[in-house]
Amino acid sequence: MSDTQWPRYQVFHQARPDRPHLNAGSVHAPDPELALLNARDVFVRRPPCVSLWVVQAADITGLTAEELAAGQWPERPAEPGRAEEPYLVFIKREARGTHEHCGEVQGSSPQQALQRAVREVKVSPALVYWVCPKRSVLASEPDQGPSLFGPAQDKPYRDQAFYHTDSLMRDIRRNDGQEPEGS
Amino acid sequence: MNTGTAGALAAYLLGLADDELILAHRDSEWTGHAPILEEDIAFSNLALDELGHAGLWYAAHAELLGENPQTRPDELAFLREPADFRNVQMVELPNGDWAFSMLRQYLFDAAEMVRLEALVNSRHKPTAETAAKIRQEERYHLRHTAAWVRRLGLGTEESHRRMQAALEMLFPYAEQLFQPQDGQAGLVDQGYIPSEQATVADWRGRVRQDLEGADLRLPEAAESPAASRAAHSEHLAQLLSEMQVVARSDRGAAW
Amino acid sequence: MAEPKNAPAADPRLPAFEQRIGRGEKIEPGDWMPEEYRQQLIRMISQHAHSEVVGMLPEGAWITRAPSLRRKLVLLAKVQDEAGHGQYLYHAAETLGISREEMLEALLAGKAKYSSVFNYPTLNWADIGIIGWFVDGAAILNQTMLARCSYGPYSRAMIRISAEESFHHKQGKEQVILYARGTALQRRMVQEAVERWWWPTLMMFGPHDQASPNTPTLVRWGIKTKTNDELRQVFVNQTVPEIHALGLRLPDPELRFESSVGNWIHGPIDWDEFWRVVKGDGPCNAERLATRRAAHEQGQWVREALLAYSRRSGGAMAA
Repeated sequence: MSDTQWPRYQVFHQARPDRPHLNAGSVHAPDPELALLNARDVFVRRPPCVSLWVVQAADITGLTAEELAAGQWPERPAEPGRAEEPYLVFIKREARGTHEHCGEVQGSSPQQALQRAVREVKVSPALVYWVCPKRSVLASEPDQGPSLFGPAQDKPYRDQAFYHTDSLMRDIRRNDGQEPEGS
Repeated sequence: MNTGTAGALAAYLLGLADDELILAHRDSEWTGHAPILEEDIAFSNLALDELGHAGLWYAAHAELLGENPQTRPDELAFLREPADFRNVQMVELPNGDWAFSMLRQYLFDAAEMVRLEALVNSRHKPTAETAAKIRQEERYHLRHTAAWVRRLGLGTEESHRRMQAALEMLFPYAEQLFQPQDGQAGLVDQGYIPSEQATVADWRGRVRQDLEGADLRLPEAAESPAASRAAHSEHLAQLLSEMQVVARSDRGAAW
Repeated sequence: MAEPKNAPAADPRLPAFEQRIGRGEKIEPGDWMPEEYRQQLIRMISQHAHSEVVGMLPEGAWITRAPSLRRKLVLLAKVQDEAGHGQYLYHAAETLGISREEMLEALLAGKAKYSSVFNYPTLNWADIGIIGWFVDGAAILNQTMLARCSYGPYSRAMIRISAEESFHHKQGKEQVILYARGTALQRRMVQEAVERWWWPTLMMFGPHDQASPNTPTLVRWGIKTKTNDELRQVFVNQTVPEIHALGLRLPDPELRFESSVGNWIHGPIDWDEFWRVVKGDGPCNAERLATRRAAHEQGQWVREALLAYSRRSGGAMAA
């Protein structure tokens, strides 16, 4: 039995209901359920969140703008007899940004899904495309929201604003004659 | 609420608080030593939550007795003798291996869930509100620990063996969580706390389902090691001597 | 400016790459990059990740002795964040093509470096406050600089980490302020901690500029935007007046203020000690690695069990 750090799952995080899911990073996990739970602990310690998605990195097929321009499609042809199914499309729109959920296409293979994504999901610029079968995504359940995402909001001591060192230090230095009054 | 009832309810809440504090302390000992980085983060989170719960129950206990809820919790945690703690023995046991710690956390989370579901209806409003707040976090704890119990129970022959051994050891201790203490009968009658009989039956049903689903065999019902929460193993004194050492080094100091 | 030792044969894509950096563009996973750029970044990022993870140990050891519920809560949250930072950084390194298994193997075999400051022991409770103020304060300066790094995932990790690090810094400083003006025992404790942590913190910024062989390359490729000495000077200027205002003394008889340049000039750093600790001969090096190795080995049956379960479940999505 080989000892590994478990497969990687990409994590997508939705801060508000009116915003798309964004790639927050990845977690190592043995299966989707633990990937979801780990993603919550790794990525939702502070920021607001309403939904998390996890998908095994191996299930994502990507294409950069450079590869697209050179016609270098990834070799992921269809399995024979595989029916069309929904694929989620994530696109990196700016160099400093991360992948953003931009829509959905039908496809019977990752390669076909990518081709359709390029044709049908019109965003500009599009620097990198990712597609994955929708069935390979595990999403947090809406009714679990309060227990998954609520508790992080209730820990003010994790916020630097909870500590008043600046004003404490200013008062001390003022009394020490190091700083003039009114600074 | 008359003084006698307030005193009895305060004693009950102190038991809840001490359970959370000692378990949080044990859980925090895994920080930096967990089997994988993601679980270091997750298990520390459990400890953090439990510590928060302890603080809430200590404050509720203090308010009932007319004591200062800002200062009393630290005094209770850091300046009491072992004999004055009211936690169950299960939480003071040393951590053992990962199977032991995870199973202990699961058994505790399942018991807490059942208890909180009743306490949200307590006639004592502050208790009901605290229970509601804690329950959100506990839902997540139980999801996490139940997932782990299942995976360790069903994983490999080694993980199964370790889980079964942990269950043999922990199950009798877990029953102590449901031992009614002196003076509590009145609290049940007046709707402040649930009856332990109902709670333990509910708990046994839920854990049986999860544990058998993980291919684990429940031990025969055994006598729990101690009926009274005032009785402790030798582990508590050792634990507290470490936990309290800095606070006691200068009792008058603000830390 | 010294050329890097094994200067790559001129790849035709190199000028365009360097122009992108010159324009302040980010290099992202999948973009072409010189092999040396990739290797420098893997080295830096994985070292940074290892530092966070090893750094959990000297502080984590005091969670069980934290003297109030609030301090216990805060220290636990801080150490948990550090694990999280390690996690973000391992992820950033993985985008460059190295696996976490490889990085961990290098760390546990003693082949990978991590910040030497974590090879010093934490000997009393006040060390926790001083580490927050000094060590995290120094880290913030370094990270703020690295947030401008040309490699996108590292730059983004730095921004996320810095936001959280600010709380680490302040909770530590808050303790030091309290204890410096507290009881006699607390004042003694914190003075002692200052004396033990001052020089290791200054060493965190690395060797003097003239002794740093990697810096010119790192600066040219937008990985480093300020030198070691520049950052060290900022830290010293910020910290010395505040330490003095609290009535604490720094263990440096040569420390003086040079008003012509507006800098606090510190005495000579003991570089023999620095290199000894970097090379593995510090007070806690062996112990830190042994602890990480033990955790890793004891965790093996757990990691294997969960993989076995997932294979048996055939990757089913439900719990």
